[in-house]
Amino acid sequence: MTKIDLKRTEKYAFLIFLAAVVLFTVGAWDRIFAASVFGLRFLWIYPVLVVLLALILFLYIGRMKRAQVSGKKCAGLFFLQTMHKYRFLIEQLVQRDFKIKYKRSVLGAFWSFLNPLLMMTVQYVVFSHLLNIRGNTEHYAIYLLCGIVMWNGFNDCSTQSMRSITSNAALITKVYVPKYIYPVTRVLSASINIVLSMIPLLLVTTVYGLFSTPHLYLSKAVLLLPFGLLLMLIFCVGMGFFLSSLMVFFHDIEFLWGFVSTLWMYATPIIYSLSMFEEKGVMWFVKLEQFNPLYHYIQFIRTIVLERQSPAFSEYGICLAFSVGLFLLGFFMFRKVQDRFILYL
Amino acid sequence: MSEEKKVMLRISDVSMRFRKEEDHAGSLKETVINMFAGRLKFTEFYALQHVSFDVYKGDVLGIIGRNGAGKSTILKIISGIMKPTAGNVERYGNIVPMLELGSGFDMDLSGRENVFLNGAILGYEKEFLHSKYDEILAFSELQDFINMPLRNYSSGMIMRLAFSIATVVEPEILIVDEILAVGDENFQRKSRARMMELMSGGTTVLFVSHDLNQIREMCNRVVWLDGGTVRLQGECQEVCDQYRL
Repeated sequence: MTKIDLKRTEKYAFLIFLAAVVLFTVGAWDRIFAASVFGLRFLWIYPVLVVLLALILFLYIGRMKRAQVSGKKCAGLFFLQTMHKYRFLIEQLVQRDFKIKYKRSVLGAFWSFLNPLLMMTVQYVVFSHLLNIRGNTEHYAIYLLCGIVMWNGFNDCSTQSMRSITSNAALITKVYVPKYIYPVTRVLSASINIVLSMIPLLLVTTVYGLFSTPHLYLSKAVLLLPFGLLLMLIFCVGMGFFLSSLMVFFHDIEFLWGFVSTLWMYATPIIYSLSMFEEKGVMWFVKLEQFNPLYHYIQFIRTIVLERQSPAFSEYGICLAFSVGLFLLGFFMFRKVQDRFILYL
Repeated sequence: MSEEKKVMLRISDVSMRFRKEEDHAGSLKETVINMFAGRLKFTEFYALQHVSFDVYKGDVLGIIGRNGAGKSTILKIISGIMKPTAGNVERYGNIVPMLELGSGFDMDLSGRENVFLNGAILGYEKEFLHSKYDEILAFSELQDFINMPLRNYSSGMIMRLAFSIATVVEPEILIVDEILAVGDENFQRKSRARMMELMSGGTTVLFVSHDLNQIREMCNRVVWLDGGTVRLQGECQEVCDQYRL
């Protein structure tokens, strides 16, 4: 195994940790200030929690250092070594997938901006003026745009990563590369689009906010957007593991997924809002939505943009649980069946 | 232990079983009924059975045998693409498989971009590729075309580029499925010379060929596979003399 420079890894890990803490503290200050846990003000627990997390990080890196010297097994170290060994390949595959997407189009990556805007315009006209689904949702255009951007991101990631194993069959049958890399790189390349599409979202919100009554302006809660996106991306990787390994054995998944994702889209409050159901007293639907991960991810972003504040702490917990849960499920399933891929490709 | 005798690859008791499902497996209903009745049958066959041999440093090991004897399967298992049903392979060095040229090429990317993509797939380091880029370009003779997308290349040009990328390394273990001679006569001569250079340069080579003359010329040891088992292995001369189809 190649030796990796853990000193540098340590430095980066702490820098990233610091950045995350700063972003979270500034972005979610109101929540941190107001919340209380078991009668204690959360503000007093918060610094302890941060220090504790830093300590865990420090101890774990220490463990990896010792494992590297003694050659003992350590999941984190193994992961880092694999990442280090294949980082160039990952970089190249992500680049390829991203380049290929817009290679033969004139506007290129600009479509990442344009697409959500066009979609929003069409849906805004149809649902707001022709069908009047908007109900009494405030800032419906932005409400819609949040939903579209997040849904498109998820849909793009899952569809792309679903085909990642079958479309790389030529490689998998010729060269040995850990197969996890293929779904992960697809999600990474699709995530560039999601990050890019945040720009029109914020831009439109700023412009729209100036002319709307009441005014809508961006607040420092925007700093929390990366957390929402990250949580959804972890979910997408899990979905990618799951779908791509299924796809090898049942090609029908490709067509079935087209149907399931459409169904899922209409089952998620993207164009409508749950308050409409609450008014009508259809409470079972509202309760059911609590089990829809996409609802939580979209609502996460909407709270940040439309309510200009951090989502409740419980929302972080729910999103994290969905993300980590599906990730682990997908990962173990993928690991179990990956040796059989080659026989079916 | 002398340097000559250092083991690079140890293949011990490797078996590979395939399940051959009939392609026209019938309808879903039939399959389900058969499954419950315990009648879901696969025709099993062993592509390899208890294959063992060692490869030492500096060896040029030829693998010969008829079509379907398991030559390609053993190469795939050695390079880690397939996991054997039983037995294991110990590897003591980095392996560059040359099973099929240009399998990682993307037709929409330019030649230059493909050099880096394909190099990354073959496991080269970034710095290494940057330093060898000019060499690859010179060998492939594609100077003016390197920034064009690959879909506009002729098939000869694609093969030339693929060959140039694949052979720029000096791997510890090189796996070759048939000697690669591509392109026009001039390039064929050049590529053959490059292969010879690689193979005689102290690297350990595993080499599959149907050309017995080539085997005699290149190899010092030969493994003869027949129906998934090792029929004979040993010195090149000895095995080649006994080899009959």
